[in-house]
Amino acid sequence: MLTPAVLRDNVPFLPPIRNTDKLLQSREKLGGRISQTSKVRPQSRGRETESSSPMEDDSKKYSLTKDEVALFRNCHKQSVCVDMLRQGYHRSFSELLALLHRWNATRDASERGSDIWEQQPLEEQDHKLDQLCHFLTRAEAAQRADLYEEVYEHQVSLARYFVEPEDKWLSHHFYESSLVTARKVKTDRGRKEAEANSNMGHVCTERGQLETARAHYEAFHHLTEGQAWRDEAGQALHSQACECLWRIHTLLADRMLENKDYRPAIETLTKAFQMAREGGDKAVEGKAAYRVGLAYQSAGDHETAERYLNLYMDISTVLGDDESLGTAYKAIAKSLESEGKLGESIELLEKFVEVSQDESLKHNLEEACMCLGVFFCSRGQYDKGCQHFERAYEIAQHLNSVAVLQKAQVYLGTARACMMMSAYSSHVAEARNVDSCKLVVWKETRNDMFNQADAEKTIDDGEDSRVP
Amino acid sequence: MSANINPLANPKGANKVCELCEKPAYIQCTKCFVTFYCGKEHQDDDWVAIHQKVCQLLIPVRTPVPYYTLEAEREQHYTQILDRQKLLMEISQRVAEKKLFEKRHKESLPAALLSLHSAMDIYGTSGVQLVPAYLLLAEANIGLANLSPAEQYLSWADWTVVRTPDCGRTVRHKLHRCMGRLFIVKGDLEGALFHLANDIYYASEQYGQDSIVTCGGYYLMADVFFRQRKMDIVNSLYTEVANTWHSHLSRLLEKHIENTITPEESFDEAQQAEADQMLRSLLDVPDGGPKQQPAQSAALAHSLGILWLLDGDPEKALEFGRRALGYCQMVQDCWLTDPICRLLHLAEEGLDAAQKGSPDSPPCPSAPPEHQRSALLS
Repeated sequence: MLTPAVLRDNVPFLPPIRNTDKLLQSREKLGGRISQTSKVRPQSRGRETESSSPMEDDSKKYSLTKDEVALFRNCHKQSVCVDMLRQGYHRSFSELLALLHRWNATRDASERGSDIWEQQPLEEQDHKLDQLCHFLTRAEAAQRADLYEEVYEHQVSLARYFVEPEDKWLSHHFYESSLVTARKVKTDRGRKEAEANSNMGHVCTERGQLETARAHYEAFHHLTEGQAWRDEAGQALHSQACECLWRIHTLLADRMLENKDYRPAIETLTKAFQMAREGGDKAVEGKAAYRVGLAYQSAGDHETAERYLNLYMDISTVLGDDESLGTAYKAIAKSLESEGKLGESIELLEKFVEVSQDESLKHNLEEACMCLGVFFCSRGQYDKGCQHFERAYEIAQHLNSVAVLQKAQVYLGTARACMMMSAYSSHVAEARNVDSCKLVVWKETRNDMFNQADAEKTIDDGEDSRVP
Repeated sequence: MSANINPLANPKGANKVCELCEKPAYIQCTKCFVTFYCGKEHQDDDWVAIHQKVCQLLIPVRTPVPYYTLEAEREQHYTQILDRQKLLMEISQRVAEKKLFEKRHKESLPAALLSLHSAMDIYGTSGVQLVPAYLLLAEANIGLANLSPAEQYLSWADWTVVRTPDCGRTVRHKLHRCMGRLFIVKGDLEGALFHLANDIYYASEQYGQDSIVTCGGYYLMADVFFRQRKMDIVNSLYTEVANTWHSHLSRLLEKHIENTITPEESFDEAQQAEADQMLRSLLDVPDGGPKQQPAQSAALAHSLGILWLLDGDPEKALEFGRRALGYCQMVQDCWLTDPICRLLHLAEEGLDAAQKGSPDSPPCPSAPPEHQRSALLS
């Protein structure tokens, strides 16, 4: 009944199009640009031309299709979103948009000028949007078909794709959703769920949520129990679970030890030890035993400590690992010393020196000498102590570690001073003429000559012998 | 009410044209003397649709400007006229929208036309403010199955939007939705999907993803996929729509109980009718449609119950509430059971209050929700 409103003034609404040559030219120009972008998004371009070709064949000579126009007029984010929606992937679209909004919200919440403001916004990083679109739509298609294994695979691929530090949160997000998906997979006796739990454990450890990480690893361990699954590298999943649990328990115990909560720390470390034993890796088991031993030692229970440390020693001997063997000797010696079994302690420390003879174990050797030196000095045998310290100092000179060198210097200096102390004070006490002379000489030269009768022999005037 | 005029007797240069079809006019309205029609039929149409509401308002706008000597007077007159024109545009737009909601497409057409003319008088022929009027016209024409005028109006609207790069997302979302509707009617399903996808994109950016505005786009999209027989997609879209409506209505009910509902959030009659129709169609999917999950049906029936309760019809609310409870019992440990029982309780209270107001109706013992449940179970 009603024809569309003719405009009241007689100006034509649309400009007349007469010069089609010009239009053709501009189309060629645009076409070149399209083919450039089409390399980036081959799958979507292919579909678009396909859908548009039967529509308008003759008008195609003159004009661009709607999709081509939209590709230039709108931002890449919109093209990706529209592509997804057109194929009916509305969940992927919601998820993508929610992620983009989350990123923007994080940025707005943080202070202007902080790191996140320096980054390129996520919605402007085309290749990441493409990746998200690619995997999310596949995952949704699989989900519609109830193929949760595939959904899981796609989510994990996404999580693995985002490795850069600023994209960590995306990776974490997809690991979280992959865990939810994995719980729905019923056909593989929980293998996917186990893997997802392991991934979540890593994520939580990275975030510093150790308790949650432990819960995930425990689930991982529980699911892999009695299963002979192996990963791509051929490593058994169950032993991986044990190792992860050992690590997380040790981390938890470290936190407790910092707060001097010895009892819970020992309990946690014992759990870690059990896990390490279950995992079957001897080296790890040894390390775990060592940590338990040290914890008992700091709690003052030396007998139990020795038991664990002996275990560590045995394992190290079996493995032929001299370095850890040395560490074991040292720890046991310390326990024995606290118990008053001095002879055994010395014996072990000497063994420590013995096993550390190898060129690669110089630092251990230095440590062994230091231990021996401390041991003798604290028992008043300064001359022996001095010998060991001197040896330690010599080794330390070749170790390239200033801290170690300085430590050795100080210990050696103190030991020499202590050694001289008795002679010096006896001279002061006797106060004869000769003694006074010697004291004066010493004051002048600062060289230790009290014990050398009257001979005017000087010992080396190394700076270490000077007592401040 | 109408007086005959002869086109040949008009003063030179003053072409009187019909208000609706722009053909030479033969009669004029005798109440305002500023509107002209080609015939009785068009005058009646216009009168019913919009003219009776704006007849007197048109007089100052359309009479020629009197001669003012002072510039200040001229300016004052100009601003006055502008205000009146804006008022005219608003009124006609509102009327057109209302009639569209009520599905009286034929009546909404003259109103939309008037709104377009006033908009053109104010903003010129290319302002982005013209787009809502174009969309109203297009929608009315789609409703009347006049596809070619609808297409023309839409292409004008599109052209206007294209020429205004900074126009808002609301306008774009409305334009694309309307285009989507047109393409659905035309049967070009791929084109419809393209426009609906854009519509959903803009709507989610503007209103958020869980808004019922976005939801409308999903519903239309589900319709397209239904025609393409892609049932898995339809299913997942219906689930999305049902969930969004359910959470929206549940929120509204909470607010209703706390009495903090704002006027913008409450539905008017037309929106109520639309929501009701949409939810019903989701609940009773025709044969060959996707198989409904009982949990989803329960959510839908629950939503309908809330909708009717908010509308002040406890009887219908009760009916839908019971239906929802029935669906609920097909699922184990349905979390919806408690909210539904609460709805039933509220509906019964409302029913009691209504019956006390009219003592003639027979008294009906109101059973507590627990009884309802056991009765339904047995």
